[in-house]
Amino acid sequence: MGKNFSAPLERTARLLDLVPYINTHQGIALKDLAAVFEVSNAQMVNDLTTLWMCGLPGYTPLELMDLDFESGYVNISNAPTLAKPRSVTFDEGVALILGLDLLRASIPTDRSDLLEKIDSLSARLSSIINLNSTFSVVAPVNQGVSAAIDEALASRSSLEIEYHSMYRDEITQRTIFPIEMIQVEGQQYLSSYCYFASDFRQFKLDRIQKAVVTQESKTIPEDATDTQRINSRLKVLKPTREIAERFNRQDLKAGSEFDFQTYSQQWLERSILSSGDGVALLTPPEIRASIAQMAQSMLDRYKAE
Amino acid sequence: MSRKIERLINLTIALLATKRYLTKSEIFRSVEGYEGSAETKERMFERDKDDLRSLGIEIEVGSFDPLFNDEAGYRIKQEKYQLDLGAITSTEVSLLSLAAQAWQGASFDEAAQKALLKLNSMGVPSDSLSLPTAAHKIDDGGGDLPLITKAIAEQQLITFTYVDSQLDRHQRKVVPVGLSSRSGFWYLSGVDQDVQEIRTFRIDRIEGEITSTKGPKDFEPPQGFDPARVFDGSSSQSFAIIDVRKGKGTSLRALATSAQSLGEWDQLKLPIYNLNTLASLVLWHGIDVYVQEPLELRGLIVAQLETLVSNHG
Repeated sequence: MGKNFSAPLERTARLLDLVPYINTHQGIALKDLAAVFEVSNAQMVNDLTTLWMCGLPGYTPLELMDLDFESGYVNISNAPTLAKPRSVTFDEGVALILGLDLLRASIPTDRSDLLEKIDSLSARLSSIINLNSTFSVVAPVNQGVSAAIDEALASRSSLEIEYHSMYRDEITQRTIFPIEMIQVEGQQYLSSYCYFASDFRQFKLDRIQKAVVTQESKTIPEDATDTQRINSRLKVLKPTREIAERFNRQDLKAGSEFDFQTYSQQWLERSILSSGDGVALLTPPEIRASIAQMAQSMLDRYKAE
Repeated sequence: MSRKIERLINLTIALLATKRYLTKSEIFRSVEGYEGSAETKERMFERDKDDLRSLGIEIEVGSFDPLFNDEAGYRIKQEKYQLDLGAITSTEVSLLSLAAQAWQGASFDEAAQKALLKLNSMGVPSDSLSLPTAAHKIDDGGGDLPLITKAIAEQQLITFTYVDSQLDRHQRKVVPVGLSSRSGFWYLSGVDQDVQEIRTFRIDRIEGEITSTKGPKDFEPPQGFDPARVFDGSSSQSFAIIDVRKGKGTSLRALATSAQSLGEWDQLKLPIYNLNTLASLVLWHGIDVYVQEPLELRGLIVAQLETLVSNHG
């Protein structure tokens, strides 16, 4: 986090936040309280002992807080000044406002009441932290899809999906057995066994256009194998950011060459075409020929009209 | 150390409980923990005030009677100290809890958890609102978001090195006004100080550190700027007419503002943001996509194709 408080300040903040929490959770077990505040039991006893010495000026038993925790359960009374939780800090407010914005996408369309509540909470938080600017978080994933994926993962069942494959440029129907959600460079993928490809595949979440949990029980075949790996060599002609990101190269220099491996010939061909005069494929020769042929037939159409 | 903490808590309680401003001498007399020479107490008090302020607790300075030149007094206003979200329902508490959970493992996680603790201390039970949110976790890729949100709030100037589409690195000076996410990437929008226009930057294309400094004094935030609209095509001036084979070009279709069927093909109208980016997307689709207009885009594609043929022939 942005600010790192010194240990005594962090403890002061914790003690101030402990009072309202105990106040609304009277009789909470000491170890549970320690877990909520992420400290050891011994530290919690320390904190409570310190609090026990605090109160209003005068500091007679009448003015001190009444804290009882010797039984292992914590009760508090006589702490009216600190009884309400502290207001949210700037970072806390921003975290909630951005989180609420993300939540918007999960709200079913027939629950406009919830959307109104989100707007109103957002406005109240913005005014507490004095924020005039707008933040926006767009959830990349269709809510029906993410619900079905959650259900399939939880119940270990298979899914029927409609998937838009970017490098085949097709929408295909597939039955998959989801294994886990993974993140690659900020994008979410569903790692699965695909019965359509008879292999393990990673599906980009925002390209899954539809997902339905299936009832039939399927398992992953034991003889699932890899498809053919392509070893290619490329030459950089004009370095661009797009090429750097596409081939995941940190530093591109004009005239340099690099090796690249992929499982998909289509992906490789489309990537080279799309990179235009930026890169050239040196090997394998059969894919080189295929790219030249594709470019030529496209060119023929432009020249004809 | 414990004594300092006790003193800070006691000072907070005393300043919260008082109905009027407390003078320094009253504080030294009544709040436990102020000991030593006058100078020591003075120093202690100054430090304590700063410490409480850094925890976000506002201490007001005022005097009993503005007509007399009294000694300054201090208090903490209950309404500023306390979390006041107005009348709040169980459903609203649930929504806020879900909002906080979205940060699991990302940069505002700790702040979100602290906020959650405060919400849970309000004594309003949350109801079991079930929403399909498990897949919605905010992923920030790096830790720059808190710095950027702070800069937005305080209209600070931020400086960073940005990798442009030709892989050139330039230093950018921007007063940020908005933050948005799209397909897992975070975008920062702000007024670029060199051109005095709004520009949008993808945060993972920033190289190295972002530094923030005091913003320009006369900065006026642009009116009516909505970061969510950066992406919806409303800011584009020109359009391309592109034929796409039926069943193909899904990613181009997603960008189209209109489409009409021409037998085997569909004709799409697409906003042009960047000619090179669009050319690259068209080339990706090979023989399934054909550009009708504008001439400039056709020319660019023909030149690229000629190079591709000669490079691979």
